[in-house]
Amino acid sequence: MKNNKLLPYLLVSPYLIHLMVFVAFPVLFSIFLTFNKWNIISPMEFIGFGNFLRVFQDVLFFKAIYNTLKFLIVHIPLQIIVALLLAEILNQKIKFRPFFRAAFFLPVVVSGVVVSMLWQQLYGFDTGILNRMLTTLGFGKVGWLVDPNMAMVSIAVMATWKNVGLYVILFLVGLQTVPPQYYEAADLEGANHWQKFWHITLPMINPTIFMVVILSTIGGFSLFIEPYIMTGGGPLNSTLSAVLYIYKQAFTNYHMGYSATLGFFFAFIILFVVIIQKRFIEKGES
Amino acid sequence: MKNVLFKGCKSEFFLGLLVLSCSLLTYCNFSRENDDNSLLYWSANDAQEVEFARQVISAWNLEHPDEQIKLQPVPEGQSSEEIILAAVVGKTTPDIYANMWQGDVEFFAQAKVLVPFDTLEGFLEFIYQRCDSALIKEITSSDGHIYQIPWKINPIMMIYNKQVVEEIGGVPRTYSEYLEACKKYQKDNDGDGYVDQWFGYANVRPIWHELRFNFYLLYLAASDGASLVENNHAVFNNQHAIDVFRFFGELYTKNYFTQDMLSSGQDPFLTGKIATKFTGPWEIAHLEKFKPQGFDYAYAPVPVPDDHQGPVYTYGDPKNIVIFNTCKNPLLAWRFLKFLISDENDLLFLKLSGQIPPRKDLTINPLFVEVFKQNEKLAPFANQARYIRGVDNNEVIKEVFDIITQEYQSSVLYGVKSPEDALRDAAKAVDVLLLNM
Repeated sequence: MKNNKLLPYLLVSPYLIHLMVFVAFPVLFSIFLTFNKWNIISPMEFIGFGNFLRVFQDVLFFKAIYNTLKFLIVHIPLQIIVALLLAEILNQKIKFRPFFRAAFFLPVVVSGVVVSMLWQQLYGFDTGILNRMLTTLGFGKVGWLVDPNMAMVSIAVMATWKNVGLYVILFLVGLQTVPPQYYEAADLEGANHWQKFWHITLPMINPTIFMVVILSTIGGFSLFIEPYIMTGGGPLNSTLSAVLYIYKQAFTNYHMGYSATLGFFFAFIILFVVIIQKRFIEKGES
Repeated sequence: MKNVLFKGCKSEFFLGLLVLSCSLLTYCNFSRENDDNSLLYWSANDAQEVEFARQVISAWNLEHPDEQIKLQPVPEGQSSEEIILAAVVGKTTPDIYANMWQGDVEFFAQAKVLVPFDTLEGFLEFIYQRCDSALIKEITSSDGHIYQIPWKINPIMMIYNKQVVEEIGGVPRTYSEYLEACKKYQKDNDGDGYVDQWFGYANVRPIWHELRFNFYLLYLAASDGASLVENNHAVFNNQHAIDVFRFFGELYTKNYFTQDMLSSGQDPFLTGKIATKFTGPWEIAHLEKFKPQGFDYAYAPVPVPDDHQGPVYTYGDPKNIVIFNTCKNPLLAWRFLKFLISDENDLLFLKLSGQIPPRKDLTINPLFVEVFKQNEKLAPFANQARYIRGVDNNEVIKEVFDIITQEYQSSVLYGVKSPEDALRDAAKAVDVLLLNM
């Protein structure tokens, strides 16, 4: 009897060990770190709320949050519009449909580092293909990654290209759940394509849109690889995302306590945004 | 089915045994130690340095059967600094590490994980014989101890395309000459109204380590090797630094340098897209392998202000040797290191890797003079090696570099601030940083 009680715990122990080692311990240790000054190899020094006070005086951290929000404002609407458009097209009976569905999904599975390096070449000011095309057509060059006003927008466009395939698949699933009789009834009433899309498709895939918004928001908040590879946070810190700043504090400057504090602060901001979004969803559903 | 699969306590016993075995295996793996008296030596992991270490350690082990050294290239990682940090935290450091960037030594020294060499018998006598007093002052920690042995340097110089430079009037030595050469070489090759070739190039990523190859390099040259930080205060807010900012500012404003990342495509130096760059002797092996027929190049000192007099200093990119305090036998480690950096082995290292030992007799010792005679591409580095600086011994030197990098961007690349304002702000920020340490 006693042995039978032990068995379930043994069976779930791999998960429990993983949870303890890779989730619970890091979170608790991070909370502990927020009250300490620590450079990894020297003994910790208790500083009370010193790290928290420093956050409120750190102009660069707020700039990084502003940059991240700027990225989200461009990235999320762009992602939804492009993904929905592509999903709508790929839901029609077109030639080579399976090929196109796979092709749009391909960037999702390619490493973010590889994609960032490729786009870095495309975006080159003097030598990039995009600017060469523009000058061939008689337009001026665009400082995709060297203009502080443009760099984050360029990264948002690139991130959209990289991730849109995933959301196309989600929208395709949503589109295929819309009952065809709604469209048949609309056809009988003489509705055109746009009216059917606006009055039937969009309301029916509303839950999918909200899911995409939430996934994009969480993904967007964790923006790191693209600015890390393409710009290093520049020019003039215009692409310094919050996660990149936290990373720099931790692994360049070895301010582990302070970076843990920034991480917590940032987690609360994400929580706040997600709560607002959840309210909207619940309101929409009711 | 249940009875078949898990037959009472027997099955549970085996399952438990499996979990226990995995745990023990993992524990054993983490707690593996050298039970013998041998010492572990970590070398850099490039092929030439591994080969050098293999040869030297084989020779040592043959002569000292009871005092064996084990070789291991530093494990692969994003950077060797990260690997060392992880090793220190995990208490799995080697006894000797022979590839530590000089700027990192103070960080580890302050954490008291390094053995002070000056406490080992015969070290001071040895180091004063090997290095000049300026270098010894540079590597002395703020606590008065010496935690590193200067082992190898890669002086940064200006590499240039010989054919191009001869066509435009010779090697530019000063800022004015360099700017003039830039003007002559700048060209729109495809007629689209935009420049396609530039005289020089420097990476503009706002990452602290890039500063070593743009501002810091020319600052050392202009100031005869002045410090950035002294007595816990910023000392770089001076005319030399302003001149360097202004010089780079002009290069970017007039599009003599591009802000593009040229490193990912074809080598822009070999394709003629650029005619000069600031780099070290490591470039020689690459160029000899890939240079097209008829392509020739040489090295010269980096440009200096027009009124500059005397020798031109540069950044030496020093990598040094340290002993970790986990070492069971520091005296044995020290005896081995004396063998590792003996005349014969320094010579072997120079021949195998093309990297320069920072010895004060480099240009007079016949052993080394002969090598530089035979390798004319390497010869300029021997002369330059007398006028090099590493970095200041400060545990937050990377943050100091990072602060200057930000202001360099504001002033040089975007003209948001004047050089004077940018350097004043940088010096203020560094002072605040040093005050709060």
